[in-house]
Amino acid sequence: MLPVIQIGPVVLQTPFLILIMGVWLGLTASERYARRQAYDANRLSDLVLVGLVAGLLGARLSYVALQPAAFGGNLLSILSPTPTMLDPLGGMVVGILAAVIYAQRKKLPLWQTLDALTPGLAVFFIALGVAHLASGEAFGAMTNLPWGINLWGETRHPAQIYEILGATASAMVVYRLHAAKHGPAGVFFLGWTALTAFMRIFLEAFRGDSQMWPGGLRPAQIGAWLILAVVLIILGRRWREVQTPPAPDAATNDSQVGP
Amino acid sequence: MNCYRRKWNWISAWILLLSAIWIGLTAAFAPATTGGATPFPRVGFSAPDFELSGLDGSTVKLSDFRGKVVFLNFWASWCPPCRAEMPAIQKLSSVYPPEQVAIFSVNATSQDNLEDVQAFIAEYGLTFPVLLDIDGSVNRTYQIQALPSSFFIDAEGEIRKVVIGGPLTEAMMRAEIAQLVEELP
Repeated sequence: MLPVIQIGPVVLQTPFLILIMGVWLGLTASERYARRQAYDANRLSDLVLVGLVAGLLGARLSYVALQPAAFGGNLLSILSPTPTMLDPLGGMVVGILAAVIYAQRKKLPLWQTLDALTPGLAVFFIALGVAHLASGEAFGAMTNLPWGINLWGETRHPAQIYEILGATASAMVVYRLHAAKHGPAGVFFLGWTALTAFMRIFLEAFRGDSQMWPGGLRPAQIGAWLILAVVLIILGRRWREVQTPPAPDAATNDSQVGP
Repeated sequence: MNCYRRKWNWISAWILLLSAIWIGLTAAFAPATTGGATPFPRVGFSAPDFELSGLDGSTVKLSDFRGKVVFLNFWASWCPPCRAEMPAIQKLSSVYPPEQVAIFSVNATSQDNLEDVQAFIAEYGLTFPVLLDIDGSVNRTYQIQALPSSFFIDAEGEIRKVVIGGPLTEAMMRAEIAQLVEELP
């Protein structure tokens, strides 16, 4: 674990640096994919930038909104450059909303855009696992298995390693399927989302820091199961739409061409 | 066409069913969280207990403050971010009633010297307890990797937030403490 790197009086938050690197590498992967698909890579970069900036602002504003009294006499603190005053959930909601509005205004094609974002998301999720490994978050439950690691005073599942392997496997499986040049636009994104949700359901069982509902149910698993259900339904419909012969006057450009 | 559709529906149903069974098994057989029971200096764990003396010789034991929100700050007089955040901590110590919130700072005395610590306290007019970790044992127990480091501990003694590095803003500290105060009975 390496949560911080201290250089003199400056303390660098390692997970934050890894996440920034994940965004950069992910964006590079998405841009490369977009160019191969004859998709406007600049538009894609702008979309990601809008989402990130809005997400960051949203995370800070959401944090302030949750505890407005704390900022009563310190309005300037809202602008403080500390990464500790962020609400991730609020940031995610605002970031996605801003990206959706941008995509609608620029009339970006939904499925092709989501497909182009998929390599970036896949890389980012791997980076997220590495960031968890550095910070020690998302640690594993106690175990007696021989590959358990000594962490936080107990032998635990190497849950962060599972997370990295799961994200890498999801990315590779979907990339292989995509390289086979099958399926309509959107299948690349939907396939990756389904695999990621499935991995979350499976791997959450080995985590030692899960939020729990009464009865031992874990909200992360329930949320991932719902996402998986929705994605499987949409996937089925996407395949059917493409397999149904189009009406002669309704020519569409829906088929996807592999890299 | 219908054959493929039916096949896909079956595959989807099986995936969802198996996933639901796995979720059920996880709920039944994998009690995950630490529940704040194990002492360890991390979020979700119980704050390791310690007993330290201040400059006036009075001792403070962390576990005596169960039932209150505790803000614990590790610092040294030579550390610029520690200096930057100390006025905010001092201000904060007068905001919350002592029966709700306890604020302590633990000086890394093994990496500092007492004269500088005394001068620091006088310079910033600190009125909350400043504890001296003379042999560095509490810093080791709390695995302090950088100064300052701050721990927000709830009334049950569970660590709810750890911030490595600084300086913390007054608003951030207020926001975190206010959340924990709201949970008090």
